[in-house]
Amino acid sequence: MLGFLKKVAEYTRDAVDAASYLAQGLSVTFDHMRRRPITVQYPYEKLIPSERYRGRIHYEFDKCIACEVCVRVCPINLPVVDWVMNKETKKKELKNYSIDFGVCIFCGNCVEYCPTNCLSMTEEYELSAFDRHSLNFDNVALGRLPTNVTTDPSVQPLREFAYLPKGIVDPHEIPSTHSRAGKLPSEMLEWLNQNPALEDSNKSNQKDLPQNEEIL
Amino acid sequence: MNVSNLIVIHLASTPLAIVSNGIDLELSFTQTMQGLGLSPQVAHIIWLPLPMLLVLVAALVGVLVTVWLERKISAAAQQRIGPEYAGALGILQPMADGLKLLVKEDIIPAKADSLLFTLGPVLVLVPVILSWLIVPFGQNLLISNVGIGIFLWISLSSIQPIGLLMSGYASNNKYSLLGGLRAAAQSISYEIPLALSVLAVVMMSNSLSTVDIVAQQTGAGVLSWNIWRQPIGFVIFWICALAECERLPFDLPEAEEELVAGYQTEYAGMKFALFYLGSYINLVLSALLVSVLYLGGWGFPIPIESLANLINQPINSPLIEVIAGSIGIVMTILKAYLLVFLAILLRWTTPRVRIDQLLDLGWKFLLPISLVNLLFTAALKLSFPSAFGG
Repeated sequence: MLGFLKKVAEYTRDAVDAASYLAQGLSVTFDHMRRRPITVQYPYEKLIPSERYRGRIHYEFDKCIACEVCVRVCPINLPVVDWVMNKETKKKELKNYSIDFGVCIFCGNCVEYCPTNCLSMTEEYELSAFDRHSLNFDNVALGRLPTNVTTDPSVQPLREFAYLPKGIVDPHEIPSTHSRAGKLPSEMLEWLNQNPALEDSNKSNQKDLPQNEEIL
Repeated sequence: MNVSNLIVIHLASTPLAIVSNGIDLELSFTQTMQGLGLSPQVAHIIWLPLPMLLVLVAALVGVLVTVWLERKISAAAQQRIGPEYAGALGILQPMADGLKLLVKEDIIPAKADSLLFTLGPVLVLVPVILSWLIVPFGQNLLISNVGIGIFLWISLSSIQPIGLLMSGYASNNKYSLLGGLRAAAQSISYEIPLALSVLAVVMMSNSLSTVDIVAQQTGAGVLSWNIWRQPIGFVIFWICALAECERLPFDLPEAEEELVAGYQTEYAGMKFALFYLGSYINLVLSALLVSVLYLGGWGFPIPIESLANLINQPINSPLIEVIAGSIGIVMTILKAYLLVFLAILLRWTTPRVRIDQLLDLGWKFLLPISLVNLLFTAALKLSFPSAFGG
């Protein structure tokens, strides 16, 4: 009898627990009612891609030395470098260069390793096409610069969450003069210069990593 | 046999029609018709389709509103905006959806049983619409105050699983069949605790008629509502109603992640629209019935009589009657839509249960609890006949 009552008590406790968890969940959902939507009305509003956004690759034909490093570092050997050896000048003559963005995974290895910096990442991400073959960009298409979101008059640019001032969640109606939370890299450098003590400790750290100096 | 708020003018012209138990629109209508020189029979025949049409329109408008609310509230729960461009705040979005479904090609799969395939959605929708027969919006504001009221609804709602099973089987598709079987199993197992919790309410009001059930809850306003006397019954009824409507967390007959769309998989165009309509009409109907059975139906939280006394008006003066009637309609709809809101909120809160959990909950939890609730109600009725309906 006591065992049965114990079971009933346990059962009741379980039921009450389940109900309280359900109420907790409902309160969370209900709380969302008063939150502002985070919708970006896409064709009319666009987010400004972050500084290190890896979009469609830009290519400068004149800088390229046809070394094919990009092909070697590419996970799938995607870039097609069409060159011929000019026997007289004993130099490579570049005919064509193309990347198929229907296949590219935008890892940025080619950009990273290009010895002449002729490859770079753009902010362009609107790559939809009616035919997948039209995504195979040749050197002319690769040389085009994308439209900047901030300069496009038909688009209202919105800042991403990380680029908003401290405590602001909604990117609408925030003037562009309001700077984001934290310091920009240039401001950080300035701040380091004003605090020589910190810089010294930084320098001592850099002895182990001399390549950092080049970046700074 | 009445519904509507359209013939307020007749009320003023035929003060005889106003009796102490609220507005009787049928009486005033037939009297007006007889005044025009028609026989009582003809007047009755002219009257008959009016409330039915009105309720049908009310049900359809209710569905449109519910679909819009569902989309807007879902959007709010996910920090989205939801439909925005079709009409102000996207209010015309359900109309646009309906129009799209109306002009869509009506496809019957080559290997499907075309007769059963067509009959299925009809069998799902018709009982649901028929059940609106017994939904009261006021003392005389319902199509038919049948004596077996709530029992009629329970029996009509058990026709629905046949339609679901029929359409699932006739589609000749494994997902449809599974969905249909699940729907049938779910509806049948949740019918029983539903009926038992209704029985407890019926026991207290000594009547199956929805009007009597509401009338028994009037008197002390919010305090006399059944929810205080039947809190467990209320919860069981609501859970079972959600299961009957196939709303989340019990939407496994059409679980899109596993069964594509369950028994609706092969349906398109107007046949799909019938399912869609049926599910939303059923949701509104269930919410209305919860408000009728447990939340005092058309009753205002503070009794209208005491409010009328407060402003020194006799309760059966025409003005008070009209105001009370409108308040009744508003209160019924308001309570129902609060419950619809709760259902939508639950949809985005709870994960879908598995089929074994669903049947466990139905047979091992709700059924014994509702039986105990019924016995407990009977005991309370015997010991406190004044509070629990003698």
